[in-house]
Amino acid sequence: MDLPCGTRNYDYAKDMAILRTRTHWALFIGLLVIVFTAPLYLGNYWLGVANLIGITIIAVTGLNILMGYCGQLSIGHAGFIAVGAYTAAILTSKLGFPFLAGLICSGFTAGFIGLIFGIPSVRVKGFYLAITTIAAQFIIIWIINHWAGVTGGFVGISVPYASIGGLSFKDEASQFYLIMVITAVCILFAKNLARGRVGRAFIAIRDNDLAAEVMGVNLLHYKLLAFFIGCFLAGIAGSLFAHWIGFLSAENFTLTDSILYVGMVVIGGLGTTLGPILGVIFIRLLQQGIMYISPVLENAFPGLPAGFATGVGPMVFGLVIVLFLVLEPRGLAHRWGLFKSAYRLWPFSY
Amino acid sequence: MPEFLQYVITGLAVGMVYALIALGFALVWKSSSVANLALGQLVLISSWFTYGMLVQASLPYWLGLPLTILFALFLGWIIERFALRPLVAQPILSLITVTLGVAYFLEGVVSFIWPMSVAALPRIFPVEPVHIGPAVVSQEYIWAAVISLALFGLLSLFFRYHRMGVAMRATADDQLAVQACAIPVTSVFSTSWMFACVVAAIGGVLISCIGGITFGLVETGLKSFSVVILGGLNSFVGCIVAGPIIGLCENLGGGYLTPLIGPGIKDIIPFIIIIIVMFIKPYGLFGETRIERI
Repeated sequence: MDLPCGTRNYDYAKDMAILRTRTHWALFIGLLVIVFTAPLYLGNYWLGVANLIGITIIAVTGLNILMGYCGQLSIGHAGFIAVGAYTAAILTSKLGFPFLAGLICSGFTAGFIGLIFGIPSVRVKGFYLAITTIAAQFIIIWIINHWAGVTGGFVGISVPYASIGGLSFKDEASQFYLIMVITAVCILFAKNLARGRVGRAFIAIRDNDLAAEVMGVNLLHYKLLAFFIGCFLAGIAGSLFAHWIGFLSAENFTLTDSILYVGMVVIGGLGTTLGPILGVIFIRLLQQGIMYISPVLENAFPGLPAGFATGVGPMVFGLVIVLFLVLEPRGLAHRWGLFKSAYRLWPFSY
Repeated sequence: MPEFLQYVITGLAVGMVYALIALGFALVWKSSSVANLALGQLVLISSWFTYGMLVQASLPYWLGLPLTILFALFLGWIIERFALRPLVAQPILSLITVTLGVAYFLEGVVSFIWPMSVAALPRIFPVEPVHIGPAVVSQEYIWAAVISLALFGLLSLFFRYHRMGVAMRATADDQLAVQACAIPVTSVFSTSWMFACVVAAIGGVLISCIGGITFGLVETGLKSFSVVILGGLNSFVGCIVAGPIIGLCENLGGGYLTPLIGPGIKDIIPFIIIIIVMFIKPYGLFGETRIERI
């Protein structure tokens, strides 16, 4: 971490602190105040968007651990989210589990399903793994659609609102607090995981797995751990998504979504804690912008083809993913770092 | 018994088309070691383009089909030039992800220009079904198999005798040595992409003659990954052998398992095969096991 001139660490606790200077603390508290007073000035619609952003941040943080830190590509993340969502839905609506138990269980279920599909990662990597996870996506969605007795099949399944004790999270504002708290916990977990022994082992595997193995990193253990943690977070996100949206069908978890999650990690910046947050906010706000602007454009230019509204979104996202990979492969997090150092070094910015 | 024969014949025919599409993948992988995950979308967009040429612009076949080939060549060149070439020597993760971005983009283009999600190509092949023993097979299947086989033959001749084909094989073998011999590696790359797009387009037209144009074509493209995986990534022979195997498994399994397990099992059999191959023999039947140095 780059710190301003004259910041010295006199003990280990200070050295390891995430928030090191007064400015850090001030900005952090400012952020907390802004986030947690958001329901006061955001309308219901934008709170819904914020909730979706929070849920997606959890999922993409998991994918970032798997892909950004450990280097194991997964294009089936929407499938693992679906596993979490359906576990939560079945446990809470059919078996009467409380919300929190359902949350933890869906995390573990998604984690174990991820472990199964992650086993080939011990022997293969790159493209092979990408294909395995695509296969996982299709198989999971097929099972969800055809195991109608349990999952509701093509009809779907309705999910009760989340509640802890007597507290019920029925409207967007209360769900906003729930989701933000869990998101914050997940981000903190990911941050500390990445700084610790496990994260360093992941990074060693990403950079060169053979070298890592020779240095004494247990590949089997750590690759499967990465799959477990990544899919665990996907399961948590899925559970929150199920309780937030209230009604599940397999339409919510398509291959296109999986690709979009990969895109979010890439756009945000692989292997950074900040990356997933920025990437998710960027893509979700872009989605909102496109949703807002495409009817306007359609009215303004009647000559546009009929598929404009549905087609322009994927086109823009695909283009953004390609452009980021070509022009800024280190993502928005790197840009943010550049901005911070420019601010710190001002007026001598070199 | 007639149904068994029918499943076998249709399976072999569809498998040949899968093998053809997979060949396009193997081409790009061999020459530039880029994994092209946009295969399904390439199949989709070129089928729709054919539809646009033959039905919407109502061009005759002798003009519409060559235009599709031209379009595929152009598409391949564009993708290689603007998405892949800037990323030469980047980690494999970026190379895979960029093809995902291309896939997403192409899907958007398809729903932009052709918002109706289902369409049928005009009948290119004669309507009367063919009787092979007790089985009745519609002619599309036979033609698909024949055309795929013919293209295989042409491509293998190309690789054996044409200058560019030899250059492509050499690039697959050793890029540095090829550059030292003054073979333009970049043009080898873009040729391989153009070829891949053309075979994807032909495969797409053949498949959509059989089953119509839907978004299921993306899955068809993804299914040919199972051919690649089963056959081994860098083996053309693997494609030819594994394609019919996948087609057979899919059709026989779809035919006999559907009453037992439920509808739609046909569509995920190739994916189940991928998982099984991954667990047992991840480098496929004919692929070479990579030996790495630190």
